[in-house]
Amino acid sequence: MLTRLYLVFAIAAGAAAQQVVAPTPAQVGSPRGDNTGNYNITQSFELGYRWSIVGGDLGMYRSVDNFGNGIRLLGSNLTVNSRDGHGNLFDEILLNTMGLGNDPYESAMLRVQKNRLYRYDLMWRSQAYYNPGLTIAGSNALNGTPAIGSVGNSALFATGGLHVRDTQRRMQDHDLTLLPQSKVRFRLGYSRNVEDGPALSTVQLFDTNGPGLPVFADVKRQWNEYRLGADVDLAGFRFTVTRRWDFFKEDTPYHFAGLVGTTTLNDQTALKQYNRSEPIHGANPGWLGNLFTHRKLWGVNARLTYTAGSRDYILNETAFGTSQFGGAGNRQILVGGNANRPDLAGDFALSFYPTEKITVVNNTSIVSNRIDGASSFSDVQNGNDFGTTLFFRYLAIRTVSNTTDLQYRLSRVFGIYAQYGYSDRLIRRSEASADPLQFSQSYINDIYSVSNHMNTGRIGFRVRPWKPFTVNLDGEIGRSNFPLTPVSEKQYHSINGRAEYRTKRAQLSTSYRQMYNLNAPFVFSTYLSHDRQYSANASWAPRDAISFDASYTKMHLDTRGGIAFFTLNGARPSLSSQSPSYYTSNLHAANLGVRLSWRRRAELFAGYTITKDTGGAHGLPTTGVVQTLLTGVEAFPLTYQSPMGRVSVRITPKIRWNAGWQFYDYAEEVHLFGYNQNYRAHTGFTSVLWSF
Amino acid sequence: MAAKTAVLMFLGWAFAAAAQTPPAPGPQTAAPPANAAGFVGSNVCRTCHADVSQSFYKNAHFKSVASGKEPPEKTGCEGCHGPGKAHVEARGGKTTIPHAFSLMTAKAALEDCLGCHAADFNRANIRRSEHTLHDVACISCHSIHHSTTPKFLLAKQQHEMCYGCHSTIRAQFEMPSKHRVNEGFMECSDCHNPHGSFAPTWRMGQRPRMVEQAVTNEEPCLKCHVDKRGPFVFEHAPVRVEGCETCHNPHGSMNAKLLKRPVVFTVCLECHNGSGSGLRGEGVPLQSSKHNMLDPKYQRCTTCHVRLHGSNADRYFLR
Repeated sequence: MLTRLYLVFAIAAGAAAQQVVAPTPAQVGSPRGDNTGNYNITQSFELGYRWSIVGGDLGMYRSVDNFGNGIRLLGSNLTVNSRDGHGNLFDEILLNTMGLGNDPYESAMLRVQKNRLYRYDLMWRSQAYYNPGLTIAGSNALNGTPAIGSVGNSALFATGGLHVRDTQRRMQDHDLTLLPQSKVRFRLGYSRNVEDGPALSTVQLFDTNGPGLPVFADVKRQWNEYRLGADVDLAGFRFTVTRRWDFFKEDTPYHFAGLVGTTTLNDQTALKQYNRSEPIHGANPGWLGNLFTHRKLWGVNARLTYTAGSRDYILNETAFGTSQFGGAGNRQILVGGNANRPDLAGDFALSFYPTEKITVVNNTSIVSNRIDGASSFSDVQNGNDFGTTLFFRYLAIRTVSNTTDLQYRLSRVFGIYAQYGYSDRLIRRSEASADPLQFSQSYINDIYSVSNHMNTGRIGFRVRPWKPFTVNLDGEIGRSNFPLTPVSEKQYHSINGRAEYRTKRAQLSTSYRQMYNLNAPFVFSTYLSHDRQYSANASWAPRDAISFDASYTKMHLDTRGGIAFFTLNGARPSLSSQSPSYYTSNLHAANLGVRLSWRRRAELFAGYTITKDTGGAHGLPTTGVVQTLLTGVEAFPLTYQSPMGRVSVRITPKIRWNAGWQFYDYAEEVHLFGYNQNYRAHTGFTSVLWSF
Repeated sequence: MAAKTAVLMFLGWAFAAAAQTPPAPGPQTAAPPANAAGFVGSNVCRTCHADVSQSFYKNAHFKSVASGKEPPEKTGCEGCHGPGKAHVEARGGKTTIPHAFSLMTAKAALEDCLGCHAADFNRANIRRSEHTLHDVACISCHSIHHSTTPKFLLAKQQHEMCYGCHSTIRAQFEMPSKHRVNEGFMECSDCHNPHGSFAPTWRMGQRPRMVEQAVTNEEPCLKCHVDKRGPFVFEHAPVRVEGCETCHNPHGSMNAKLLKRPVVFTVCLECHNGSGSGLRGEGVPLQSSKHNMLDPKYQRCTTCHVRLHGSNADRYFLR
């Protein structure tokens, strides 16, 4: 019975989204494990070889999928449990790994705990990703700058803008809870986030009207966080306090040695040597406190957090080369200063349960966010000191919001809920700059202040006419004055509906979501956005040996945004603001998965995923260069699809052989970026999954 | 000094108290005896429900049995299902179980679980969460006896569970540019708290309502993208005020870098058109008149404005 249940759940899990062909979700050995002394042990390991064959744009493949060749420990699972809950040093060990051995996505999860005494959790993960900006910025057609001919660090780059090494992000989180089941608990934590690898930047050279030339960097960023906290249960209240310290450090060097120049007509700007050092060190120490109680008729949940952010930095940039008009050019920029941002956030939620059918929750939140800093900017061009300017900035955001939720469960069949929310936000900003050499000419701008309010309301209901069938429907409306940006929510409404039929063997669901944001209807400042999403899902496992999973989603988005920019009309720039920017996306996404099992000896999974944006046009005539420019970017039709298949065969009760194939096809219909990024890739693996 | 000594003494006492291992009860024999309230003890349940009890020592709830110190109403099977006397006397039947979760309403199931789990910090907002409003209760996602995940007793792998209802989100994670959830690098709970979260500290403080802020009070994006966190002398105000989703689709996008538009200049110019309130109440500033948008080099704003999320050196984010 137990084995059968495990199988049912394994089948159900496998039938759902399985977008990467490996590791294999099959199980080997007894799901009950083996007893050794007072402990029970289950374990499995999957070792295999992953391969890929890519045709087309390799850079785009590395940006999107990035699976390579090589031997991998595709997955492993280990559990050790004490059978009476009284192990000597531990009662449970869990260890799961995925992709170890140079897969682009690697992770390890470890939990070790002893009941009543401690619980330790570790999550380690690594992601290798490719930055397509290197290729894009090197394109002549795109920005008038040339492809990279030579660079300073040949280990990072190859020809044609491709770089040979991925950028890597590694993260780890450690959490240790002491006395996890007592009324006083202590928590210690440590997190680390490290990023290194190639990246792109651009340098503005010897005059502000000149071109931007690409400069490459070897990113070196590091973030460490330490946490210390405790929970105390007292008189029906729980008080949680956490003290945290985090430290950020970035020492990314930017180098260039060689020759790179612009291809812009009558512009002779060329860069021969470039160095930028920009060490940034910062810290964000903070506090968190939470008070919680839940009684029969009421409850309180209060939170207060404070984070004091600061960063110190210095920038030293030197460039040598040829200026716009052919003369020798050099420039040095020195910047130093600091920035501070204390953040305070508080929440107070009061809940009432006057009857078993009614829940009322009122939540008040306040956020205060102040940013201030100073920056000293010195500029020396061709030996001429253009002086030092001190910039001061202040930006403060204060938001107070209050929401009230009401739930009324009329019966087991029918319930309603409603919500009203009000927000008030105040943004204050001041700017100042000063030239110490000519202080009398320094200026201080006025302090600017903008406030806006938002009112929202929502009402919805849920119906469950019989146990496996549920319908939810709600609508929300919001009104705001003076939103910060034209695309912020100003006059919006949304409708959400969902119907679901769920049994142990089958699940059918469909949903509809509509979100319209209809801001000011004036030509210059218009922003109209219509977002409609439809979906349908079906999962069916008629028998333990077979299951199906299928889904279809249609996502429609059309926006019309007022847009204003300058074009060169003869010798003078002219403002173009009569042609709005349209964007239309009609996305169709579908999944299909079939899983077959033959007496647990063999399992076969076949899946197919397709995401297709058919774009769309607003249908207005295209005349003139401005409209031609905007029409060319109003849609981005492309197809991304991936069929896959996997087979797993039991060799012995403790050994399985697995193999799989997955195909990726990325196809843009219009090459918006001036060159073809399409690719097709075959990937696959073969592996052995075994249990000792 | 005295305070430190007191803290150390308290810690020592707390450890000693917790480390006092209760008498070894032997495998799964720690269930309390029957009493007048109708509790029969977990050993009685084993008689018929061997399939559940045989591997129950692997279950997180086995702590209540192993402890040997919990009262009957918080121990083993009856800790969740209620006193079993009537069920035993009736020789089975779901209706004789005081708390048979398959027969209970979502609200009742939620209240039962919160009897022990309510005070956990990450569930502090569960009563105002979207899931609770929509009658999605604990047992909609958690399988207490037949979990397939190593942690949290989930009925399925986390993202597959979420996709079961949020299929439009699933579609976004299958786009070319996406966060690596399907690939196993991330989970939905890296950014979301399915049990409800505190009010967001960005936008207008009302939505989104299920986004995790954890210990800090900032957008979860900054947990990984720490270089974007700042503070910067020159902040790009919408990043701080309205949040990353002003320009990015956080789950996935057909456009590079999770952007909302395929080319960057439309992303920028839809705001920088002189309307909206802006920071001065006079509209978001127009771009410079020196920029000839018909020249391709001006169409890629981020080629020059490289520090768009915030800069310490240049108010126009050029370095």
